[in-house]
Amino acid sequence: MTEAVTHDDRGLVAGAGGRPPSTGAARWRRWWNKQGIWYLFLAPAAVLLVAFMAYPLVQSLHTALFSWNGLQPRKFIGFQNFVELAHDPDFWAALWHTLVFSVVVPVGTVGIGLLLAVAISRRVFGHKVFRVGYYMPVLLAMTVVGILWVRIYEYNWGLLNSLLRLVGLGKLALPWIADIRYSLGSVMAVVIWQYAGFPMVVLLAAIENIPQDLHDAATIDGASERQRLRNVILPLVQPVLISISILQVIASLKVFDVVFVLTKGGPSESSSVLGTYLYKQAFELSEFGYASAIAVVMFVIVFLLTYLTQRFVKYQEVEF
Amino acid sequence: MLRTLSSAWMRVAKLLVIGLLMIWLVVEVYPILFLFMTSVSTDREALNSPFMPPSSIHLENYAEVWQGVRTKQPFAVYFRNSVVATGGTLLLLLAVSSLAGYALARGRFRGSAAIQQSFLLALAVPAHVLLIPIFFFMTRLGLRNNLLGVILMYTTMGLPFTVYLMRAYFASFPRELEEAAMIDGCSVFGAFWRVVLPMSRGAVASLAIVNVSWIWSELFFALVLLKSAAARTLPIAVASYKQQVMTSEMNITGQFAAMAMAVIPMLIFYFLFQRQITKGMTVGAFR
Repeated sequence: MTEAVTHDDRGLVAGAGGRPPSTGAARWRRWWNKQGIWYLFLAPAAVLLVAFMAYPLVQSLHTALFSWNGLQPRKFIGFQNFVELAHDPDFWAALWHTLVFSVVVPVGTVGIGLLLAVAISRRVFGHKVFRVGYYMPVLLAMTVVGILWVRIYEYNWGLLNSLLRLVGLGKLALPWIADIRYSLGSVMAVVIWQYAGFPMVVLLAAIENIPQDLHDAATIDGASERQRLRNVILPLVQPVLISISILQVIASLKVFDVVFVLTKGGPSESSSVLGTYLYKQAFELSEFGYASAIAVVMFVIVFLLTYLTQRFVKYQEVEF
Repeated sequence: MLRTLSSAWMRVAKLLVIGLLMIWLVVEVYPILFLFMTSVSTDREALNSPFMPPSSIHLENYAEVWQGVRTKQPFAVYFRNSVVATGGTLLLLLAVSSLAGYALARGRFRGSAAIQQSFLLALAVPAHVLLIPIFFFMTRLGLRNNLLGVILMYTTMGLPFTVYLMRAYFASFPRELEEAAMIDGCSVFGAFWRVVLPMSRGAVASLAIVNVSWIWSELFFALVLLKSAAARTLPIAVASYKQQVMTSEMNITGQFAAMAMAVIPMLIFYFLFQRQITKGMTVGAFR
C-alpha cells in the first residue's frame, strides 16, 4: 500500500523533500487539502462553461460545414456555406451595418457622455437632477425602449413627427424606420439616446476622482474651461475613456435586441446587423448550417477584438 | 474693464451650458414620461394629444393587462416568469462564481494559470455563436419552454465576467482571517463559508446589482428558448404584445401599461440602491 504513488502525488512527493514516507491515505488527504479541494470549488463553473459554452461553440463550428434545415439529416458541404456568404449581398450589408454601428454608436455615446460629464462635474445648478435624468434610459429594458421608439418614430401620429409638425417643421417629418434611407440611422439614434448616460456616469466618477486641487489650480492659473478639459481632465481620464470606448464597440458588434424590435433588420435589410441576419436565417428560414457560418464569422470578429483589447487594456486600471 | 467683460461672458456661457443641459434632459426624460402618461391614458387621447398629460388617469389599463382581459394571457404570468428567471440566475451565478473566484484567488493547484486564462477567453465568446446549438441542445434536454433552461444559459453567460471580478475581490481579501479560522480547525470550505463569505456580503451584493439588469431584460436566448406563451419572460411578452393585440383591435395604452410594468421594478431598484449602483457600475463598466 505504501508503494501506491499515483501520478497526482508526484509533485508533492518531490516537494516534500526529506519528510518521512507517509501512507497513501495520508498523502491523498494532504493532496486533497492543498490542491484537490480547489478543483471541487471550480467544478460547478467548469461544468456550466463546458456544457453551455464550449460544447455549443464546437457544435457551431461543426454545423457551419453542413447544409441543414433542422429536421432532415444534415449534409456535409465543406466550406460551401462560407463561399455562399462571400457572394451574399445581404450578408455584406449586415456586416457593413454592424461595423457602422460599432463606430457611430460608441462615438455618439462616449462623446455625448464626456461632454455631459465635464459640464456636470462643475456642479452646475441642478447637477443631481441632470445626473439621474440622463441615466434613466439606461435602466429601461432594451425591448421596451425599442417598442417605445416604434411609437415615437411612427409616421402619422408618432411623437417625433407630431413635434416637428407642431413647431412648423412638417417637412422634416419622415417615415424614420420605414424608409431604407433612414432606418439604420434611426436605430443607431435610439441606442445613443439610451446609452449616452452610461459613459457619462462612469466618466463623471473618473473626473470626480481627480483631486479637486488640480481643478482649482487650473482655475487659479486662469485656465479656460477648454484648457481645463484638454490639459487636466482628458489626460487623467484617458484610461477610462479608452476602456469604455472599447467596451461600447464590443457591445455594439453584438447588437441584436433593439434592431430586432424596431425594424427586424428591414425594410429590405436596410438596417440588418449580423445578429438579426443570423436569427432570420436560422429561426425564420431554417437555414441552420448557413446561419452557423454567419455565427462563426461573428465569433471570429468579436473574439479577436475582445481578446486583443484584453491584452492592451488592464481592467484594474480603472477601478477606484 | 476687460475683467468685467469676461466675467459677463462667462455668465452667458454658463447659462448657455445649463440651457443645453436642460434641452438634453427633456430629450432623455420626455420619452419615459410619455411612456407612463400613455399607459394611464385612453387610446384616443394618446393618439390625439401626445404632449398633454391625460385628462383622467386610467389605472384600470394596468389591471386589464395584468389579468389579461383582452389578450387572454395574464401579464402576471410573464412577470412571475421574469422574477423566477432573474432570481434563479442571480442565486446560481453568485454561488458558482464566488466558489470559482475564491479558488482562483487562493488556490495553488496544478493548472490554475490555464484555468484562469480560459475564463478570460470565455469572456470573449459572443452569445450569437451559441444560439443555434443551444436551441437544439436544450430541446434534447427537455429544457425548452422551461425557465431552468434560460437560468442555466444566463448563468453561463454571466460567469466569466463575474468570476473575474470575484477573483479580483477575493485576492484583496485579508488572508489572516482565513488562516486564523483554519488554525481553529476549519476546513478550506469551512473558512470560506463561515468566515470569508459572510464578510463579503457587500461585494456579492454589488455583483448582483451589476448583473440584475441585463438578466431582467435579456431577449436573445429567451426569444428562441421560451416559445410557449406560458413560459415567456417580460421582454418577449412585451415584444409580442403588439402583434397579438393590433390584429383584433387597437390597444396602445394596454401595450404601454405592459411596458411600464416591465420597467418599474428596475426603476424602483435603481432608486433604492442608487449609491451602490454607481459604485458597482464603475466595476460593471468593464463587462
